[in-house]
Amino acid sequence: MKKQAKPKLAFFDFTDCEGCQLQIVNMGNSLLELVKLVDIVNFREAMSEASDDYDIAFVEGSISTDNDVKRIKKIREKAKVVVAFGACASIGGVNGIKNLHSLELAKKRVYGEKSDKVNTIKVMPIQEVVKVDYVINGCPPYIPEIVSVIKCLLLGKAYTVPNYAVCVECKMNENVCRYEKDEECMGPVTRAGCNSWCVNNGNRCYGCRGLVDNPASDGQKDILLKYGLKLEDVLKHFTLYNASSGDKYEQSFA
Amino acid sequence: MKYAIIQKEGLSKWLEHLKSRARLYAPRKKENSFVFRPVRDISEVCLEYIPTILPPKKYYFPQKEKLLKFSVRPFKTAKAIDVFEEYILFGVHTCDIAGIQCMDVVFRDSPEDPNYLNRKDKMTIIGIECLNYCDKFANCASMGNHNPRGGYDLMLTDLGKSFIIHINSEKGEGLVTGLGYIREAKESEVSLLEQIREEKKKVFKEELGDALPVVYDAFDRGFNSKVWQNVGKRCVACGNCTAVCPTCYCFDVVDEMELSLNEGIRYRIWNYCQMDDFAKVAGGEDFRHGRDGRQKHRYYRKFKYSVDKYNRYFCTGCGRCTRTCMAQINLVDTVNALLNEGITYRTKRHKL
Repeated sequence: MKKQAKPKLAFFDFTDCEGCQLQIVNMGNSLLELVKLVDIVNFREAMSEASDDYDIAFVEGSISTDNDVKRIKKIREKAKVVVAFGACASIGGVNGIKNLHSLELAKKRVYGEKSDKVNTIKVMPIQEVVKVDYVINGCPPYIPEIVSVIKCLLLGKAYTVPNYAVCVECKMNENVCRYEKDEECMGPVTRAGCNSWCVNNGNRCYGCRGLVDNPASDGQKDILLKYGLKLEDVLKHFTLYNASSGDKYEQSFA
Repeated sequence: MKYAIIQKEGLSKWLEHLKSRARLYAPRKKENSFVFRPVRDISEVCLEYIPTILPPKKYYFPQKEKLLKFSVRPFKTAKAIDVFEEYILFGVHTCDIAGIQCMDVVFRDSPEDPNYLNRKDKMTIIGIECLNYCDKFANCASMGNHNPRGGYDLMLTDLGKSFIIHINSEKGEGLVTGLGYIREAKESEVSLLEQIREEKKKVFKEELGDALPVVYDAFDRGFNSKVWQNVGKRCVACGNCTAVCPTCYCFDVVDEMELSLNEGIRYRIWNYCQMDDFAKVAGGEDFRHGRDGRQKHRYYRKFKYSVDKYNRYFCTGCGRCTRTCMAQINLVDTVNALLNEGITYRTKRHKL
């Protein structure tokens, strides 16, 4: 029996730091297992060869220029499966901060006198431009979740990103609540799936996975009151990753 | 009834002995909270503690538990765990022992749950009686769980310089006999215990506004109460209340494949009625849409449904849900608000 050809996997990056791809290199043994199942044909960060013939596109970074729009559309045409890989690709990420100001101001601040020569548009997650088949959240993504999504992808199954708060996983890990230590945390409104990775390691949740579908606005205010936090402070934490999905949190905190 | 005495100086020797007999779990400090952990160093064991973040439930109903192993080609399934190990839960509060009794009722109900029963068979419970409230959040007196009510192998009560140990099972007896530092209790010591229980009545007062049957009635007619809207408005659905509850037993079952895409393991993972998608079914229909309905459901599972089904209140009074709530939703306040509505209802009906 002829062995079926392995699907070809390519990595692409847009506006981002390429740190998500680094997580692939950090996968360790799982990476060795993975290359038994797929052929990696395009991976700028880890190999010199590059091919334009691919089945699965892992797309990192957000869309922020007209050229990006054209390029992501081409990738979509070619690839059978498109995966939004990491916070920038899936929710806009840190780059979304640009959307808090007018484009003119942003251009001036970054490029000064040459600002009129630069093309830039509002920051968008890739699914605002093309259809996305799988989403891997996180900045950077949590390796076990990367593996889970890849397995679903290869089996042709859907991957459901949890629609509950990071607190759920954090409690299962029996962490002491950050709020109990008078430290703020985005856990109560941030989408789980990372196994409360940051809090397990003594950090707080930064909300890099985006908000749950239905964050509670009234309740959030009670929490702020209980722990003596100011609305501005919390909004500052939200906009770090979630500025490009601004409508959602503005509604929540209006 | 049989009682034994251990001097406090002998306690660490006894703990070493217990540790040599089976895997020993006990409460210890974690930052500003407490957790049950395997005992490595006896000095870590902390017997004066407020209820741990998670109840000892995690040892007989783990957060993520292997159910079975399988392979696709050739199709095969097998037990995921062959051997369950003996273990001792040391220093369990009476409220958490009540929690274990509740879980027992559920998992022994037909069809019996083999994984739970395997773990339960290997478990020895050594409790410790509280002589004071742990903090202001507990409602154990209303639930009748501030005093030992069975469900343990051994129960320790502080007599000052020593602990009196109530021996409640053969398994328990085996852990206190034949040791030079544990002796049978004298009659005077047993009567001292009775005295302590009498004194406790002055400390522990029913926290809920009325007796449990009245609470049950309030729930019986409170389904459309405004109390639930109020609670729902404040809830952020973080799921903490259900995660820490010693009697919440809902779980989800998931199959996880290895990267070989041929072998896999079926797990069960804790799942909560407070999650947004908990009651969502194919087609997108959601049977418990709002946070108000979901919170109400949680309370009914503790004060009404379990009474109807198992003749048992599933609130143990440990206070964990109140302690952990991000939004300061307080169980005692919620139940009392419902009771107060009942009073208005009764007075109104009386006038008519």
